[in-house]
Amino acid sequence: MATAGNSNINAKLVLLGDMGAGKSSLVLRFVKGQFLEFQESTIGAAFFSQTLALSDATVKLEIWDTAGQERYHSLAPMYYRGASAAIIAYDITNTESFERAKKWVDELQKQGNPNMVTALAGNKADLEENRKVAAEEAKAYAEVNGLFFMETSAKTAVNVNDIFYEIARRLPRAQPAQNPGGMILTNTPSEIAQSSNCCS
Amino acid sequence: MQEPDHHDLSDDSDYAASQQQGLGKSTFRSDSGKFGAGGDGGVWEVVYFRENVAIHPTQYSSERISGRLRLIKQGDALFMTWIPYKAGQSGVDPARYGENSSLSEKDQNLYTIRDLPLEDVHSIRRHTPALGWQYIIVVLLSGLAYPPLYFYNSGVREFLSTIKQHAFIARSSDDANVFLVNNFQDPLQKTLSSLELHGVASIANATSHISFGSVSSNQDINRGSSSNSEYSGKPRKRIQDPARDISIQVLEKFSLVTKFARETTTQLFRESQNNGFNNYGKIQKNEDAPSKSSVAPDHKIEANIHNVPVPTDPLKNELSLIWGKPRKLPMGLEEWNIFLDPEGRIMDPVALKKRIFYGGVQNGLRKEVWKFLLGYFSYNSTYAEREYLSSVKKKNYETIKFQWQSISPDQAKMFTKFRERKGLIEKDVVRTDRSMSFYDGDENKNVELLRDVLLTYSFYNFDLGYCQGMSDFLSPILFVIEDESESFWCFAALMQRLGSNFNRDQSGMHAQLFALSKLVEILDCPLHNYLKQADCLNYFFCFRWILIQFKREFEYDQIMLLWEVLWTHYFSEHFHLYICVAILKKYRQKIIGEQMDFDTLLKFINELSCGIDLDETIRDAEALCNCAGENGEACIPPGTPPSLPIETPMMYQQDDEDDFGKSGCI
Repeated sequence: MATAGNSNINAKLVLLGDMGAGKSSLVLRFVKGQFLEFQESTIGAAFFSQTLALSDATVKLEIWDTAGQERYHSLAPMYYRGASAAIIAYDITNTESFERAKKWVDELQKQGNPNMVTALAGNKADLEENRKVAAEEAKAYAEVNGLFFMETSAKTAVNVNDIFYEIARRLPRAQPAQNPGGMILTNTPSEIAQSSNCCS
Repeated sequence: MQEPDHHDLSDDSDYAASQQQGLGKSTFRSDSGKFGAGGDGGVWEVVYFRENVAIHPTQYSSERISGRLRLIKQGDALFMTWIPYKAGQSGVDPARYGENSSLSEKDQNLYTIRDLPLEDVHSIRRHTPALGWQYIIVVLLSGLAYPPLYFYNSGVREFLSTIKQHAFIARSSDDANVFLVNNFQDPLQKTLSSLELHGVASIANATSHISFGSVSSNQDINRGSSSNSEYSGKPRKRIQDPARDISIQVLEKFSLVTKFARETTTQLFRESQNNGFNNYGKIQKNEDAPSKSSVAPDHKIEANIHNVPVPTDPLKNELSLIWGKPRKLPMGLEEWNIFLDPEGRIMDPVALKKRIFYGGVQNGLRKEVWKFLLGYFSYNSTYAEREYLSSVKKKNYETIKFQWQSISPDQAKMFTKFRERKGLIEKDVVRTDRSMSFYDGDENKNVELLRDVLLTYSFYNFDLGYCQGMSDFLSPILFVIEDESESFWCFAALMQRLGSNFNRDQSGMHAQLFALSKLVEILDCPLHNYLKQADCLNYFFCFRWILIQFKREFEYDQIMLLWEVLWTHYFSEHFHLYICVAILKKYRQKIIGEQMDFDTLLKFINELSCGIDLDETIRDAEALCNCAGENGEACIPPGTPPSLPIETPMMYQQDDEDDFGKSGCI
């Protein structure tokens, strides 16, 4: 969904990442403030929405949480197609999950919306003693690839709201000049991207 | 007109022959007056009879079996009888009165309705199509129905008003064309908001002069059959059936039919699709309509439809009237033992499946029964054979398990695929049903068993490997079966049917989702049209339902019941798809009314979890499955899970968890 007026933004956000990285836990912490130690696996996909009030806009995030197993990879395009934002999650205690995250980044760069706001989330930051992926390494990777990076913990809630708010802040704002009446509603997020190129 | 031997109902065909002379007169009777030697209790009295009432055993109207329909009264009881004419006796004009000769006598006898007590009738649905013959569908209390009875000499109104004189009959408040007979026992009946008791009387008293001349080009096409010239174009004589006032509605025409006559429904379903489509707001084509008087009512109805935001559910009334049978209590040990012969064979597997379909199995007994339902034990095995099989299979299992147990840590370092697979399984088992006491707590033995069985399975079926969702399937099996090896073999048997749910190319899922879309198309055309317009026809919002057979949608005890119902394959191997349709139909009003898009729909569907009434859903699904009949099964491509896969050397694509990006996008 596109913007309406100059202060309301609807944006589709997709969560990608290896299974068990904590995608569902991140979104549930963010949307419902909940955390389950044994969050069941996501079958197919789940959908949530959450509205954020920022100083310059109200942003409604429509969040797609996807199944992580590579087996279901062929379904992913259905969910990231048309997304204006993505969080790619990995588990800091699992190097394979970081490798998988890089592959998601590659895929989105090739297939996704070119103006997509993409965040890299090193989740399970509370498990410092089991850390396998250095924060510096991930940060450097993120910088090279134009992502913003945070280490998060769905369990302790560290950086969870922050990463979603940061995405909301970075989402392109509507350019009033292009929508003189302010009433042109479009349905495809790619059109948002085309019609609003400024990034805050 | 006197009928000399109307008491003798056992030899009706001969009687019919003897009455050929009288056919011409009787068929044009416009009333249903009593005739014959009427009497009090104990004496038969024919209170209604009509010649040339026919059924169409196939979709071709040329193949029809004509016969005589009668209502017979004995004391307070009313009986319905329809006896086909014998070959060569079918009336004065063979060209017009059907070609029974092409059908065997056996066929004809199959359809005979002999002395059906009206007490056994649930409802009668009247169909008065704008084009073609009037027909009725008699639905029994059992939920089954006779094939449509076509009144080639009209007389539906008299038929209903005769019943009204002798039995209690009430028009359904939901559908003016459905007449409920004698039935107030069904709890559902009580929920029907109101019964319009004067309905029949109002028909009988009303007057109307609508010609049958209306020809709809759509309907012509959809009647389809090449041999239906009698349906099209031919001007009809004026029929004084005032019921047409109310009954010219844009309604589907479908039939619940008994298994032996399901083909009959093909044509009806065509009409159903057509009309359902019209119902959703398309204007029926009436360009060819020759007479103004016949067109007007149609337009009136269309106008009404345009004011209704949500199209009516074509099957709603039928569904609520013709529910599946009431659910029973779960089968207990005593009842189970009745199914076994002294050596432990199951004597009548179909009866057993039927029993389980209608009520499931008591918890303690599941351990035994599931092994049959899943196909691990065969129904004709003896106690001794099963014991032997179990011991062999146990060794077998240990051997397969040892394949991965024997992998040393050093070897594992060089065996990425094994490490990955183990990792996947370990990630999932610790989050599978952990809120159940059977699986909760640290270092739970059963969680370890889940892991061992799944890892062993991923070696047993290395090509398929492990897939998210499998732990959902195994969890209740292990909970029920308890034994590790037996659980493994039960799971393996289930995966033989459902393994292709997990194909990398999603072919098994696509086949089922496709079949689901086709089923909705025939069973709820307006919903189908809505989903089409909302670009939701991929049915991915039902992905979770199908992938793990509703495991996430019901509480644990409910899912065990649903699964055993599904595993009976009693009505259909693909009963789970009818469950999907039943749930979707239940919420169709909301889905269409709120104009849900894909996102909203998926969210809505996911959030139905644990809020669905299982018994009601199964009953609805049963009714839908019966409705769809062979047309439903025809929607389902061969080999669609859980059908056993069509034999191919490579059942699954090579499984590589690290070939990220190789698979194509959809």
